[in-house]
Amino acid sequence: MRVPNLFKFILGGLTIMALVSIAYKVNFLSNGEDAQETDEVYQVSYHYFFKTDTSHTLIKAYLPKNNARQQIKGQKSVMPKSMWFSTNADGGNLRGHWETGEKNTYESISYSFSFRGREQIFGLTENFKAVPNGMATYLKATENIQVTSEPIANLANDLTIGAISDRAKVQALFDYVHHIPSAPIITLTDALGALARNKASCNGKSRLLVALARNLGYPARIKGGIILRESNKRTSHAWAELFINGDWVPFDALNGHFAYLPANYLELYEGDEFLVTHTPGIQFDYSYEITKQEVLPLFDGDSDSSKKVIAFSLWGLVQSKTMSKGNLFLLLMLPLGGLLVALLRTIVGIRTFGVFLPVLIAFSLLETGFLTGMALFLFLILFVGLITRPFDSMGLLHTPKLVISLTLMVLVMAFSNYLGATFHISWLGSLTLFPTIILTISAERFSKLIVEDGMYKATGTLFQTLLAVSVCYVVFSLKGLDTILILFPELLLLVMTTCMLLGRYVGLRWTELLRFQPLLNPKYL
Amino acid sequence: MLSRFFQIRNPKGVIGLNRRNIKLIYPHNERKYYILADDKVKAKMILHKNGIACARTYAVIERISDIKSVWGKLQEHRTLVIKPAKGCGGGGIKILKKTKSGVWQSSGKTLTDAQIFQHITSILSGLFSMASSDACLIEECIIPHPFFAEIYDEGVPDFRIITLKGKPLMAMLRMPTSKSDGKANLHQRGVGIGVDMKSGTLTHVYDGKRYSNHHPDNEKMVFGKRIPYWFTMLQLSKKTAQAFPLDYLGIDLVIDKIKGPQIMEVNVRPGLGIQLVNKCGLQSTIE
Repeated sequence: MRVPNLFKFILGGLTIMALVSIAYKVNFLSNGEDAQETDEVYQVSYHYFFKTDTSHTLIKAYLPKNNARQQIKGQKSVMPKSMWFSTNADGGNLRGHWETGEKNTYESISYSFSFRGREQIFGLTENFKAVPNGMATYLKATENIQVTSEPIANLANDLTIGAISDRAKVQALFDYVHHIPSAPIITLTDALGALARNKASCNGKSRLLVALARNLGYPARIKGGIILRESNKRTSHAWAELFINGDWVPFDALNGHFAYLPANYLELYEGDEFLVTHTPGIQFDYSYEITKQEVLPLFDGDSDSSKKVIAFSLWGLVQSKTMSKGNLFLLLMLPLGGLLVALLRTIVGIRTFGVFLPVLIAFSLLETGFLTGMALFLFLILFVGLITRPFDSMGLLHTPKLVISLTLMVLVMAFSNYLGATFHISWLGSLTLFPTIILTISAERFSKLIVEDGMYKATGTLFQTLLAVSVCYVVFSLKGLDTILILFPELLLLVMTTCMLLGRYVGLRWTELLRFQPLLNPKYL
Repeated sequence: MLSRFFQIRNPKGVIGLNRRNIKLIYPHNERKYYILADDKVKAKMILHKNGIACARTYAVIERISDIKSVWGKLQEHRTLVIKPAKGCGGGGIKILKKTKSGVWQSSGKTLTDAQIFQHITSILSGLFSMASSDACLIEECIIPHPFFAEIYDEGVPDFRIITLKGKPLMAMLRMPTSKSDGKANLHQRGVGIGVDMKSGTLTHVYDGKRYSNHHPDNEKMVFGKRIPYWFTMLQLSKKTAQAFPLDYLGIDLVIDKIKGPQIMEVNVRPGLGIQLVNKCGLQSTIE
């Protein structure tokens, strides 16, 4: 086979370009640190607004620290020149102090940082190791954690009757506190109060759980922080930690996290404290501004070597919010999906409705879920194909007929959406996630194919399309593929070179092996 | 394992769609000339110009306003065929016969002039050609040679000859069956009958699954049957291939009772089923 020089030149050029660029970046990446896939990254800002006192004014707030599951970076305090800011170690905690001598002025300060957290799961042994020395602080009663009071002692005792292991005891305490109805109570609720009212917020619940645990001899403490969600909020959060086998293990009885801390929990301080305190009697208001940052899994975007790679990738588009990560991923997936369909058509030899329809349907499946999506796709094609049949027999011209089909498709989608919303059937609402126009064209082709080639061939093509959709779906849902495509958009050049090779493939398609079997298999001749 | 997928033993030189497109169609047929074969009016102009035997063209209608006057001039004929110029799969073709009382009939049903005008209007507005407009071809009705009736007596049979650079490579006879609704296409349940190019005789009958030596609807022996005018047909297909600026063609012919072989149609993308019919790969006929 004679290959034209231009073909060789472009093929070789593109391949080398892509490979060199990828190799260059991989080289940097291999030096970088690993990051977990489940990492969540947030930008957090404290905002405090107040009127200064007639004399000295002091604001104190706990500041986050790095630990095994959370990484804090880029701390920045913004405040008027008249104020001074200091950070102070306070037991195991870190506290920021903002002070000023200004009198009767309105001031605002803010403190911001970026948070990268990962979830933390503890597997508990049935029985715990003996409590080491020096834990007395975490076992004693306090004003709001009435460890030794009768109701607490009785409850702890009642709950753990029949519990044979430490783990079972802790589970029983946790379940009890978890099942207390939660209520947004603003006033201080101590352990006894939570028990008596049988209603509590995070504070009441964590105090009660700590009291019960301490009563049974498990060292326990309150942990304070903020649950991070894209928002601007005023609520902080508290949960409990029990010292088990040498670790402080988290228990959030409000949200039902047993020995587990989600990735978006910002840990700020330990102990039964308030996140922010200020000089008494001043006018004071505050808010916590939280914005979620897109992250690249498997990859730490902040290390120096990673930054170099990012500079030559499309991640900048996401960081600058020009484009959402999801949209960028979809865009980059289009050529890859096209390549898959091209492979299926020219090498395997299956027939599909259009080249890009399977790709776009596979995208929709990522939203709807595989089985629901497949069922909905089949339903739309068959239903619209069917209800447009009467219009086929009217002898209408092609274009107006197509618009009728499109209208019917839109009506079906809108109506199912309405039904879905009325009867709370969520999968009906996901119909609009499908690419309407392409779906209409397929429905149209399907009903035309039935007329031209018969039901047998038409359903054959439909099922081969479903096969192509499944293949695309499987590839698209590969974990980390989005990261790879965004970091290495050069891969699309390789898609091109693959297609150049594919475009010259003259071999028999697999389906042709079947079709021409009488000529290929000597047995037949 | 992988190499087994790709190194398929292909001793007969079977050509698949990929190879057909890359090696036969793209290098031999320029896209701008496709229209000469796809548009039956243009194809017939070329055939007439080169004096190649084909059904006489009675009229070509391109505008709805012309229908009435053209139709008026056609009343001298006893039979005629109405076709869309760019139709596919035989859609929109009507064979009209005039009865002794002077009314036109199609498939045994009487048609009024208004109904015929309606049909021609549908053709002109592109109903059968997936296009916004089309032309209507009205031509002589060919009366099939008794040779076809000896094999099977219904529908419209035809020969298909594949040519490459004017050289006939392979041929088959396509015959309707009782299951194919008058159509001779292989994938519409017609049968293909292989042709021995050298001797001009018929070989196996292939119904898409099995080979036999007779038509599925009767027991008359087909294998070895002589094809009348075979060498005339070869000549005709060579001449046709030379008349078109397209080098890889599927040429459809039919034999008229009186006038002998006639070109029916020219195809730019002839199908590959002919290889199965002849138990032979196209590649082996090229080398």
